[in-house]
Amino acid sequence: MKTLWKIVLLGIVAAILVLFALGLNNDPRNIPSPLVNRPATPFTAPALDGRGDVSLSDYQGQWVLVNFWGSWCVSCIAEHPYLMVLAQIAQSRPDFSIVGVDFRDTQGGAERFLQRHGDPGYRHAKDPKQKIAIDWGVYGAPESFLVDPNGMIRLKHTGPLYDGWFERVALPLLQETPETKEQAAPIGVKGEKG
Amino acid sequence: MWIEIGHFATLMALLLSFYQIIASLYGAHAARPAWVRSSRQAAIGSSLLLTIAVAGLIISFMTHDFSVRYVASHASLNLPVFYLATAMWGGHEGSLLLWAWLLSVFIAVAAWRHWKTHALSMPWILAILGALLAGFLILVLFLSTPFERLIPPPMDGRELNPLLQDPGMVFHPPFLYMGYVGFAIPYAFAMSALIVGKTGEEWILATRRWTLFSWAMLTTGIIFGAYWAYYELGWGGYWAWDPVENASFMPWLTGTAFLHSVMVQERRQMFKIWNLFLIITTFALSLLGTFLVRSGVLSSVHAFATDPGRGVFILVFMSVVLLFSFGVLVFQSDHLKTKITIESPFSRETAYLFNNLFLVVATITVLLGTLYPLAVETFSDAKVSVGAPYYNKVFIPIMLGMLVLMAIGPLIPWRRASIAQLKKSLLLPLGIGAAGLPLGLVLGIDHPYGLATLVLILFVGSTHLLDVVRGVRSRITRDGGSMGSALWRLIGRNKRRYGGFVVHFGVLVMAAGFIGSGLFQEEQNLLLQPGDSVKIGSWEITLEGVGETSKRNWTALEATIRAKSDSEEVILRPQKRVYSVNSQPTTEAAIHTNWKEDLYVVLGDPVGETWSIRVYVNPLVVWVWGGSLLMALGVIISLMGGGGVLRREKKVS
Repeated sequence: MKTLWKIVLLGIVAAILVLFALGLNNDPRNIPSPLVNRPATPFTAPALDGRGDVSLSDYQGQWVLVNFWGSWCVSCIAEHPYLMVLAQIAQSRPDFSIVGVDFRDTQGGAERFLQRHGDPGYRHAKDPKQKIAIDWGVYGAPESFLVDPNGMIRLKHTGPLYDGWFERVALPLLQETPETKEQAAPIGVKGEKG
Repeated sequence: MWIEIGHFATLMALLLSFYQIIASLYGAHAARPAWVRSSRQAAIGSSLLLTIAVAGLIISFMTHDFSVRYVASHASLNLPVFYLATAMWGGHEGSLLLWAWLLSVFIAVAAWRHWKTHALSMPWILAILGALLAGFLILVLFLSTPFERLIPPPMDGRELNPLLQDPGMVFHPPFLYMGYVGFAIPYAFAMSALIVGKTGEEWILATRRWTLFSWAMLTTGIIFGAYWAYYELGWGGYWAWDPVENASFMPWLTGTAFLHSVMVQERRQMFKIWNLFLIITTFALSLLGTFLVRSGVLSSVHAFATDPGRGVFILVFMSVVLLFSFGVLVFQSDHLKTKITIESPFSRETAYLFNNLFLVVATITVLLGTLYPLAVETFSDAKVSVGAPYYNKVFIPIMLGMLVLMAIGPLIPWRRASIAQLKKSLLLPLGIGAAGLPLGLVLGIDHPYGLATLVLILFVGSTHLLDVVRGVRSRITRDGGSMGSALWRLIGRNKRRYGGFVVHFGVLVMAAGFIGSGLFQEEQNLLLQPGDSVKIGSWEITLEGVGETSKRNWTALEATIRAKSDSEEVILRPQKRVYSVNSQPTTEAAIHTNWKEDLYVVLGDPVGETWSIRVYVNPLVVWVWGGSLLMALGVIISLMGGGGVLRREKKVS
């Protein structure tokens, strides 16, 4: 084998391995959504706990994680322990809240779910006819959207959130000041090349 | 109980595989054959232990032991028995155990079969395979164990993913894995041949059947996957260039290249380094496939389970294997210079050379297409996906080139062909091929690729048939007898060659299927009220009604659709199923197949009073499946051959 070929061969092998090593940090569930970097559709709906309405506008001025779930959804059980952790993070940060949207579900089903798996403490909007879910383009559950203080959707996550998601994915976004980012990233720059 | 026995057996198997590495290396180093023998016993022992482990896991499934986490998350009380037994590989942990088990069985068989014939390289073979097995067992035991208990146990399990509740899941993964894992044996033979410095014919003869077997399994696994996707996913296609599909396709391409180029080494002692490179690459690509599926590094429909922690381990493991393998190849290859060169551009050697060139370019194409999105995502914020247009652009011309070679290759003699010879054997087939042009226009094929494929299919088919006819004729003139018996003797005397012919015929049939379904698919999205009729292709489709139906663990909406053509009238019942435990709906397409097309109907959602229904007419899809059956038959014929090779193998040793 010629020396050149040897170098080329080992170089290619090494390059592929390095690419994989770097790629391990990617999040395969971070699927681009056409809604990213668009204003979130506002909603107001009866609360699951029966105390009035829950409205997205209640959370204006802070980052809010909108989590779509249902007691019928198996992956939501897997996700739930991490939501309990996230709820604590949200309590310790004034700039970050969580709101749940319980869709295509019954009052009883949702209550039993929270009883059985634990109540993270944040509020949930009831969406039995999936009106909010359809507006937000939800096609499965769980799905989560991160909305910035200006009401723009900045991230969509399909499937269960996982340990370390906040630190790895959300925090870098939270630390950017939204005003500058908004100017820097017009609609469709991020994630719409596919 | 059973799960602990399985867990313990796996742990013992890991210890034994460590022993296998150490004993064989020490035995070879200190010239103590007893140690190498004990290494072989260890290999056989770990295959038995892992068999127990697999049995333990399957028994836990059969007895609904939901105190086993893996069982609880992949089965339920309602799951039919058929899927209970096979849910063992329905998830990440179990399928890795399946990988390890298959590997251990193959190691045991290889250690037993080639013990006498490959005494010199056997210690290295055992050590390398032992290391591979140990790597997988560490993964199974410490990073993704199927043996974990869940306390307190749930009353019922979470059930198998509905998409996996399908006969496809029963066959697709085991066959694919047999292919992936099977390549480990030729890989180990190649590596030890390199290390020991005996890279002559020995390893190639020993691994010929292993390679054929693995290639056949991989082919079957891919086809099963394609078929599964075709009728279960409801998008009317069978191949989507998904990263994980690509991952199984790449070792198939290099494996195909190896099967061809090996013949050059057998006959002419050329391509030695190249063959080693090909088989190492084939196995490396098999590992890469495992990595891509299991690490979650890419977005894919197959990314059922993703966990970066495992990804790191598999990556480290893969890096060790790859750097070691290609490193040894690079540093040992200088001993392998041969003085034999290609004598003439018109020779079978050249045909094989181009065959390999095409296949490797095809592999690189797929590899680039698979890695490009990963690179973009890693180095920028954007997500891209590489779709069918990219692959079609590069792939169809390559495949047409392959067909040209396929026509000429088997007829052209080794070393040097004279123009007169070529004329004699190619003139008639060329004529038949050219007749494809008007034929295609009559049939209404107006796409240049479609026409080219038709011409080439006729060309290749006639060269192969002509060759067989000539052989049969000369046999009759020599020994007499009927045509049938002459054909039987002809194939019997050279099963490898004619097995290969049958595989080639299978490829032709498939090529027709690809062109038919790829270029001439018709698709319509309909909104129908019960009673409405629509015409698509030669079919008139009437929605008779939509009702409900159910079975043990699912309920479904089922449409009744009457389809009428000139010659037949059928009822199709596509369903939308919802499984009781998991609420994910699945589509059950209804497919009516005849030799020239599939009528493929998918039930969508209700829109007010009407139902959305998607109808595809997919021409010649059944040819894809039929061609793959022919390929399997061809491989079986080839595998039966080899008496001559075995005799030579004995002489070598």
